[in-house]
Amino acid sequence: MKKKYIMSAALLFSALLLAVLSRHSSFGGMQRYEATFLDVFDTVTSITGYAKSEEIFTEQVELLHAKLQRYHQLFDIYHSYEGVHNIKDINDAAGRRPVEADPEVIELLKLGQDMYRRTEGKVNIAYGSVLAVWHEYREAGIENPQNAQLPPADLLGACAEHTDISKLVIDEGAGTVFLEDEEMRLDVGSIGKGFAAQRLAEYAREIGMEHVLFSLGGNVCAVGAKADGTPWRVGIEKPRPEAQGSYVQAVELAGRSLVTSGDYQRYYEVDGRRYCHIIDPETGMPAEFFPSVTVMAEDSGMADAFSTALFVMGQEEGLALVEELEDVEALWVMEDGGIRCSSGFGIDEEE
Amino acid sequence: MAKKAAYMGMLTALAFVFSYIESLLPINLGIPGVKLGLANLVVIVALYTMGVRAAFTLSLVRIVLAGFTFGSPASMIYSLAGGMLSLAVMAVARKAQVFSATGVSVLGGVSHNVGQIFVAILVMENTSLAYYLPVLVLSGTAAGVLVGILAAVLVKRLKKGIGGY
Amino acid sequence: MKKNDVILIAGLLLAALAAFGGISWYLAADTQKAEAVVEVDGQEKGRYPLDQDTSVEIQLEDGSYNLLEIKDGRADITEASCPDKICVDHRPVSRRGESLVCLPNKVVVEIENGQEAEVDGMTH
Repeated sequence: MKKKYIMSAALLFSALLLAVLSRHSSFGGMQRYEATFLDVFDTVTSITGYAKSEEIFTEQVELLHAKLQRYHQLFDIYHSYEGVHNIKDINDAAGRRPVEADPEVIELLKLGQDMYRRTEGKVNIAYGSVLAVWHEYREAGIENPQNAQLPPADLLGACAEHTDISKLVIDEGAGTVFLEDEEMRLDVGSIGKGFAAQRLAEYAREIGMEHVLFSLGGNVCAVGAKADGTPWRVGIEKPRPEAQGSYVQAVELAGRSLVTSGDYQRYYEVDGRRYCHIIDPETGMPAEFFPSVTVMAEDSGMADAFSTALFVMGQEEGLALVEELEDVEALWVMEDGGIRCSSGFGIDEEE
Repeated sequence: MAKKAAYMGMLTALAFVFSYIESLLPINLGIPGVKLGLANLVVIVALYTMGVRAAFTLSLVRIVLAGFTFGSPASMIYSLAGGMLSLAVMAVARKAQVFSATGVSVLGGVSHNVGQIFVAILVMENTSLAYYLPVLVLSGTAAGVLVGILAAVLVKRLKKGIGGY
Repeated sequence: MKKNDVILIAGLLLAALAAFGGISWYLAADTQKAEAVVEVDGQEKGRYPLDQDTSVEIQLEDGSYNLLEIKDGRADITEASCPDKICVDHRPVSRRGESLVCLPNKVVVEIENGQEAEVDGMTH
């Protein structure tokens, strides 16, 4: 009898031993694949993930792509799409009537209202009419650099009169949205990609993708870690290409998002001066506090909104704001190339 | 006869339990069905105490039972491929009388893994799975040694205890 | 255990190690052949090994173009007809998975094979 106990104990022990042994020799069995597309949010989307086979990955990526194309249409302010109630429809009906809106558009607009409050107005999705003016002058300036011009101050001033977010009326029961101010326009550029990235991350998990890193034009979102359990490494782009090395800092990321706002991606030059695409609502002019700020947060929508908010305030003011918030961390790249970061950013200490 | 049936039933139940324990262990080689082959211990005992036919029946019953209770049709295909190849190799190796139970078990463990990966390559149409072969040979050998030593002890004691067949 | 068992185990271990070495060598040799893969609007247009210096003009039907230069094992877009010139401003790439993108022209130059990149993605 006693021997049987010893025997079963020995069996269990060896089973555990084998388990440990085989765990160490594990390869994961998944391979890494990548996909890129250029047709959503007017930017480059890249998806890096692990899957058992290329077919599985391609299938999953097609689902994600379809989802993204839908968000692209819903958040578009320049084009209408058949059978889609998007932001352009809301803008077109401003001052006239409430229009039916997709439930996800309503979710996005509510996030916009929330972010307006949390950033004390630094992020304002009702700022569309001012942004539209800048957009027009910037596009013209890029197309024809010799004749690049700044928008006239009185035009910007007049548009800034119509940016009161309280005039955005959401009727959740009826599923409609109404802009009470006829001149007001929504522009969800500061939160749209982040919102979409967050939804995409949730969707990726639903369809069985557990190790994915995707970037919607630099809005990086990590679903889980890499297949071997180590975190993804994401580089923060150098704002000034002359500087040495390919990135300012590598950040380890698992299940979180990283979003950068910088003055170097979309900009134009007038008389040798650079004017970037992020406009400070206080001045109506492009923000010029520092070259870039990168925000890390669990929610991609939050990361996106706060990166915009921090970009339009001074570094010290921004640092104070970030330190008050839980789960939002930030890294600033200053004009002299120096780096500042909030206490919980957790950059690797190798240097 | 009754004694033999009881013995067979006991071994089958044991093999089934081992399969279950194995399914609970957090082992993931990443390829469906590629496992340690704890149940192989029972199959070897059956092979040595009752012969090839009994071991074959036991292995088949175990795989089907395990497949239906906590596996999937896919994992059953892998198990069948690995189990049958392993058993065939072990039966031949035992007949040849070149190796002891340990050597037979090592051959069984290795061929079990090789059989599974071969089916996986066919099913997934992914030849790069063959890169796992060295790892699978290593893990099959390690598992085979441990299982073989245990099996040798068990076979000796069982033969003493039950009187042998 | 018999002597034969030991020989068998040793033989298997050696075979596994040899196969492992062989596969590692094969994979290493494979990854050295880094290539710049040019895609226009999702269609592959060409592959250029990074170890041969060359200059490729990527011509589009509407007359737009990107000039891809491969030099010292790195790929770089040095000239382009697009208005924003983001592709031209981008630093040269050489590591697996890195890419150069020209959004207006729908041109993607991606590095396949080659050394693993230090980072999995970039935020900008």
